[in-house]
Amino acid sequence: MDFALVLQTILNGLANGALYAVMAAGFVLVYRATSVTNFAIAEFLLIGAYLTYTLSLFFPLLAAIFLALPLAFGFGVLVERGFVRPLLGRNVVAVIMATIGLAATLDGTALLLWGPDQKAMGAANIAQLPKEMPNLAFNVGGVFLSSKAVWSLILALPLAILLVMMLKYSRYGVLLRAVSESETAALAMGINAPRVVAAAWGISAMMAAIGGAFLAGAAGGGGPGHHLVLLGLIVFPVAILGGFDSVPGAVVAGLLIGLIEAFSQLYLESVLPGITQAIPFLIVLLVLMFRPYGLFGQHRIERV
Amino acid sequence: MAEINVENLKVVYRGVILALQGVSMRAGSGEAIALLGPNGAGKSTLVRAISGLLSQYDGRVLDGKIIINGQETNQLPALKVAALGLTAILEGRPIFRYLTVIENLRAAAHKRSPQRQKEITDEIFTRFPRIYERRFEQGGYLSGGEQQMLLLGMALLTEPRILVVDEPSLGLSPKLTEEVMRVLDELRRDKGLTLVLVEQNARAAFSIVERVYVMEQGRVVFEGTAQEAQADADVMEFYLGGAVAGGFSEAKRYRRRKRWV
Repeated sequence: MDFALVLQTILNGLANGALYAVMAAGFVLVYRATSVTNFAIAEFLLIGAYLTYTLSLFFPLLAAIFLALPLAFGFGVLVERGFVRPLLGRNVVAVIMATIGLAATLDGTALLLWGPDQKAMGAANIAQLPKEMPNLAFNVGGVFLSSKAVWSLILALPLAILLVMMLKYSRYGVLLRAVSESETAALAMGINAPRVVAAAWGISAMMAAIGGAFLAGAAGGGGPGHHLVLLGLIVFPVAILGGFDSVPGAVVAGLLIGLIEAFSQLYLESVLPGITQAIPFLIVLLVLMFRPYGLFGQHRIERV
Repeated sequence: MAEINVENLKVVYRGVILALQGVSMRAGSGEAIALLGPNGAGKSTLVRAISGLLSQYDGRVLDGKIIINGQETNQLPALKVAALGLTAILEGRPIFRYLTVIENLRAAAHKRSPQRQKEITDEIFTRFPRIYERRFEQGGYLSGGEQQMLLLGMALLTEPRILVVDEPSLGLSPKLTEEVMRVLDELRRDKGLTLVLVEQNARAAFSIVERVYVMEQGRVVFEGTAQEAQADADVMEFYLGGAVAGGFSEAKRYRRRKRWV
């Protein structure tokens, strides 16, 4: 076994997995806060990527990614206030249908604002050379990592871990977990539950923007376009594997799926072409059969 | 000033279920009152209305006034009501079960400065040593009595001037109920709180309140001091079961007969 190749595969898997982790953690955060399954999460990636793209026309790409974050936060809050809040407490199916409707609306809006063509970061049209972040690719002892993978490891992975720590230890994290258990009890204790929930949607949109920007080639490899909506569907198997209501679970599951994909690419793709795209969903089927609560799903506390 | 005035309050759920049919009550500054009554009398609805939480239950005030510290709060959201110094401990011991004891306290203390938070938390741990011992455990694993103590601690961290407590004795043994009432009374006197206590356990409530309102089917059917209530044959028979001796079915018949409205 080629040790360098295995190490390279692990690092690449973690790099991709970190992106999945960030996006899924944001998705789960919203589910925890409001019990709403955001079927428009892939469109959140799309909007985040397009916001980064638009800013990249005026600023260096790295700056554009960071400048897109507050805009994405505002977008998330706007969606919560204008669209989700009036639906809370309604029939679950109604809320699901509404988020699917939101997805279609956001798709259409993106099409209207940015057109149907795939873009290149920082370039007004695809024929121009796209902007890229500083090249951090390296090749040490036969281990090659692309610039995109290195950027993902140094930006997305810490961000995912930061989100987990914030939820566990920060004041906001405690309040969010309190509100997610009972909004009424939280209100009775003077906790501003609507603000806490809106912030969760904002953070989720920020996470999606980071993921979207990377998937859209901020660190090389393509540009924003409607293909992102399909790429964004990876969030669902990751969230389900993690337990759907566990942010740390989503992070671990993201990394795990990234690793499995990388190894599948290395060893199985030549035998079973296309298996890498299918494998996250196959894993979810298996998990749902044997562990319906996923790897880290919350166990219900019941006093007997 | 920390007082509540409710005037001719009518509350409706889902636009059709009339839960309060013109309730009036008053709790003066520093006073302890009890709302007594059987299930479905409207006690918890009155608590929700006072706390601004009706909309959470798809309810709304149809008519009448709620005045807290001189300000009409009929249409105020729960956060604005809480800002007036009113904290409600709702029925069913609504702690955050998946948060540890410490995290529950942190959540309740979110508006306090770190210094003030530490001072009050220390006081809570002194008052409730058992809560201190179990501070790193999830709230859902505490016993009913411990959860009630934790809720009182959380309420203290909000530094209320008016404390509304809904059925604190629910599911507790008589000994624990007595302990909870003692702590409530102690807190009320130490902090100068106005206390609104909702109870089905009339005997427990009489031990710490000055005045009593008895509710039945969304109306107040008796109003008086704790002494007057205890001297009232109807109230005593109805709530303390003095005339009931023939088991559950007879008790039910007896309760039907004794309805005031």
